[in-house]
Amino acid sequence: MKSRPRVLLPVLGLLLAGLAAASEITVFAAASLTNALKEIGTRYEKTTGEKVIFNFAASNTLAQQIQAGAPADLFFSADEAKMDDLDQANLIVRDTRRDLLGNSLVIITPTAGVKITQAGDLTQIAIKHLSLGDPKAVPAGVYAKAWLESAGLWEALQTRIVPAENVRAAMAVVESGNAEAGIVYKTDAAISKKVVIALEIPAAEGPKIIYPAAVLSDSRNKEAARKFLLHLGGKQAAEIFAKFGFTRID
Amino acid sequence: MSAEELQIVAFSVAMALLGTLLILPPGLALAWLLARKNWWGKSLVETLVAMPLVVPPVVTGLVLLRLLGRRGPLGSWLDQTFQMDIVFTWKAVILALSVMSLPFLVRNARAAIEEVSPELEQMARTLGAPEWRVFFFITLPLARRGIIAGMLLAFARALGEFGATIMVAGNIPGKTTTLSVAIYQNVQLGQDATVWKLAGISAAIAFIVLWLSELLQKKKP
Repeated sequence: MKSRPRVLLPVLGLLLAGLAAASEITVFAAASLTNALKEIGTRYEKTTGEKVIFNFAASNTLAQQIQAGAPADLFFSADEAKMDDLDQANLIVRDTRRDLLGNSLVIITPTAGVKITQAGDLTQIAIKHLSLGDPKAVPAGVYAKAWLESAGLWEALQTRIVPAENVRAAMAVVESGNAEAGIVYKTDAAISKKVVIALEIPAAEGPKIIYPAAVLSDSRNKEAARKFLLHLGGKQAAEIFAKFGFTRID
Repeated sequence: MSAEELQIVAFSVAMALLGTLLILPPGLALAWLLARKNWWGKSLVETLVAMPLVVPPVVTGLVLLRLLGRRGPLGSWLDQTFQMDIVFTWKAVILALSVMSLPFLVRNARAAIEEVSPELEQMARTLGAPEWRVFFFITLPLARRGIIAGMLLAFARALGEFGATIMVAGNIPGKTTTLSVAIYQNVQLGQDATVWKLAGISAAIAFIVLWLSELLQKKKP
């Protein structure tokens, strides 16, 4: 028993050395950005040789982790409110903040699901569960609630809402058929084969959806973070974002 | 298995192993103190060590997070003196696993040490053995089955840990994502194939470890 640790330690040491390699930046990004950023990150690594690590979750979760002291270099939020929170806590480098992307909401159903042709159809009895990001905190849910309120549907639907941890989790509930409908970003619905877009919420009707990004003031690698942020606003990244359906904000 | 899944499994096993090794010296010392000595505050320490067994793991995680975060009392000191990050790194994973699995080691080791006849220890003392020799050459070898069983249980607990880990270490792919956290996340995202693969692996590891510890506890030396 006493000789076993001696054999194991070098192996573990190697494993950890690999994990601890430090020349990289960590980007905390909204769950809805997962596919686009992964593609951008892979290309960026290939051309610059700099490593980019992503942590995808709901923006409110990420903002909380950053406030708790998570070692992140860049924050890419799905709404302005979470970025404002960090700004107020002096956690972002203010002059690096910029609004990068826009998005819009859609109503989704499973591929062979109920028919929805107008917003009012959401109140039909067949829709027992409406899947959203948690409307109290998750940006996609906050946006969805704002739209439902403006459409006068919130009161009627409130008890049918199934809140999810992030927008992708909200979509998964519809994909599995456990909710008859859901409200997610157009960009999320576009990558799923198991849901269909029943109704697009016109940009003019829905809340204004803005994705801001900023370098974090606790970052230990601000230069590299700045450089990647610049890249995110550049032409090459724009093409990938556009491919996934994000709109550009200028 | 994809490279990503393999990394998660290897990382989780490594973290659980390191966590178990890390708690071994203090855990054994504590077990011995609890089994063999009477001291002021003993029952208090005993209760504190057992707390992670009954307190919701997220609460344990929360306490660690507030303590070790960059703005926490311990975390801010580590940040300023050593520029060292704990929360949301692999160090936080080990820490969470260690705290959560410590009671399993201590309780098993304590019971095992209590079973060792004090007369044998006394005999060694009368033959002139100093206290540390008594411990390493009499108590430890005689209690080894219980101690190893405790280590195995601690390891199994560490491998299954979820609540404390997600609070203090989060879910950063390739950096802090453990088996349980990955399973939870993939359930959330509806990635069934990955979920079942990871769930199967964790169940298999847990089965082997538990089985070994049962075997050890049954066979008396």
